Amino acid sequence: MTGTCIELKNLEFQWPGATRPLLSIPQFTVQQGERLLLRGASGSGKSTLLSLIAGIHTPKAHQLQVLGHDMGQLSQRQRDNLRANEIGYIFQQFNLLPYLSAQANVLLAEHFSTARRQRIEQSLRASKLSSHKEQARQLLLQLGLSDSDITRPAHQLSVGQQQRVAAARALFGAPALIIADEPTSALDSEHRDSFIQVLFAACQQHNTTLLFVTHDASLAHHFERSIELTELNQVSQESL
Amino acid sequence: MIRLALASLFNRKASAWLTILAIAVSTLLLLGVERVRHQTQENFANTISGTDLIVGARTGSTQLLLSSVFHIGTLNNTLSWQSYEHLQSLRGVAWHIPLALGDSYGEFPVVATTTDFFQYFQYADKQQLRFNEGAAFSHADTAVLGVEVAKRRQLGVNDQFTIAHGSGGISFSDHDAHPFVVSGVLQRTGTPVDQAVYIPLSGLGIVHGEVHGEVSIAADHHDYHEPPVYTLSAVLLGLNSRPLALRMQRDINTYQDEPLSAIMPGLALTELWRTLSLFEKALFAVSILVVATGLLGMLTALLSSLRERRREMAVLRAIGAGPATIFSLLVSEALILAIIGVSLGVAALYTVLGLGSDWLLTNTGILLRATPLTGTEWSFLAAIIAAAFVLSFIPAWRAYRNALADGLTIRL
Ligand SMILES: Nc1ncnc2c1ncn2[C@@H]1O[C@H](COP(=O)(O)OP(=O)(O)OP(=O)(O)O)[C@@H](O)[C@H]1O
Ligand SMILES: [Mg+2]
Repeated sequence: MTGTCIELKNLEFQWPGATRPLLSIPQFTVQQGERLLLRGASGSGKSTLLSLIAGIHTPKAHQLQVLGHDMGQLSQRQRDNLRANEIGYIFQQFNLLPYLSAQANVLLAEHFSTARRQRIEQSLRASKLSSHKEQARQLLLQLGLSDSDITRPAHQLSVGQQQRVAAARALFGAPALIIADEPTSALDSEHRDSFIQVLFAACQQHNTTLLFVTHDASLAHHFERSIELTELNQVSQESL
Repeated sequence: MIRLALASLFNRKASAWLTILAIAVSTLLLLGVERVRHQTQENFANTISGTDLIVGARTGSTQLLLSSVFHIGTLNNTLSWQSYEHLQSLRGVAWHIPLALGDSYGEFPVVATTTDFFQYFQYADKQQLRFNEGAAFSHADTAVLGVEVAKRRQLGVNDQFTIAHGSGGISFSDHDAHPFVVSGVLQRTGTPVDQAVYIPLSGLGIVHGEVHGEVSIAADHHDYHEPPVYTLSAVLLGLNSRPLALRMQRDINTYQDEPLSAIMPGLALTELWRTLSLFEKALFAVSILVVATGLLGMLTALLSSLRERRREMAVLRAIGAGPATIFSLLVSEALILAIIGVSLGVAALYTVLGLGSDWLLTNTGILLRATPLTGTEWSFLAAIIAAAFVLSFIPAWRAYRNALADGLTIRL
């Protein structure tokens, strides 16, 4: 499957109250199914860019297209729906509702999204699995959790396991795009590599676009394409 | 949404339960006060009916009412037997009940009267007195007990007891020489009658040494030479026609031979209730304040939970929850707390009514029944939930603002 997943054209973004723009990106495109690493120093605006793509904050019109939608022209509700349906988001840490089980956390992904629910129904018909719960369990097993981990409350899991559950939730219901904001920075190098591997495998299987953000240059060798935010951003870092 | 709210509340069990408890207790208090208020007002209005005038020596109407109907307080002035005879002779008087008060049996007032009391006295909706067992007194040394007296002193027909001069538990002089025999026990009325001991006037006369020797009850009435007692506390009058009451009241109040006052019990009761209602309103205001405290507790709990839940909110935002969803999440949490709290409060009310109504009756004389919720009570419950709903907009709005400002960044 080909096509453009994310397209930035002359994106300008300035936080309200800030004296100068934080981001000014003339051109940047991510293809469907691509796995991309975006690198940048702390405070360079990586998370800000991701929140624009995820539809949390609004850019101006005609500057940012995500999956064919002009993010500057969608309403708050439309952007929330797009995120619920098509974007899986993984934070650096604390991705889960600590009082729910790993499985219940994964099932949350379809709570606000009819599209994910429908896709899961379809894949249930195709496979032999019987329920949404079962599908969530399979995904968690695939990402390396054990059956006993799955039913425990999330706060009892290790940080590495929590990140895997977060990845499972992001992938559940096959969204088109996964955004991961430094998902491995709380992990040691061994867990980091295995996390990236299972994430890649799952993305490949569903042809999911992966936008992976980090300040850690050593991860670049895992990715087909790796980009420095400073290369894109016209706002000079020294003047910040 | 509800499931999420429940799960999140369950995660904050301790504070959620405390909030629910506060709401439950305040609901219980509000309903309890309302019940007591309603019931006392009803009991109050039910104490006497069918009596058109109460006549006593010149005194305030409240004092006359309190002593003659509720047996509270003492009347310093008495009316003479001659005046009683005059009252009997007035045109239009259908029946008359003389009352002589002032003695007591333990904490129970002793009322000396005639058998006419059992025939003519009415309470509530023109209900007559009935006997649980036995019958009216027939001799000077027999007595009729209110049901509470019999129950608490475990007296039955033919049992003996002695009365004390003066009211209240401490006797000034015991009339030990004159024991009384129970001739009958009245049925429950829910009025002060339940708490009183009734003896014949002649019995009182003997005890006080006003009359000597055995006097038959029949002599109480017309066919006498010497009255059984010389003074009475009050006389209840029933008239042939109600409209007569106003004129007769004026006639009695202006009676020349002795200063008398006549009151209409219905009017006096309303007046007395009006003075008491200040107290009742204060009680009601206090319970409203307790409800407000309970709800403010909920508000505090929700507001302070917001800080530790910013992470939770960011996660919900990331999976596609809009700020409006966050808003309604908090509103549903408040509604869940309020509804559980109110339900528990109602359950507690019925538990208290079920277990404690006997205790309440024997210790305070207030009869509370576990009747279904009234319209007023339902509207109180609705008001509590509505107030919780409105108050929840404050934390919900805060959460909404936070959700918009924080976005996906997790601030700790
Ligand atoms: N909600 C906000 N309101 C105002 N300014 C913000 C907000 N979020 C971030 N900023 C500012 O934008 C700049 C970039 O922040 P951002 O979080 O995008 O950096 P980052 O590249 O993700 O850094 P890190 O690697 O430390 O996560 C910072 O100077 C920050 O102060
Ligand atoms: Mg960041």
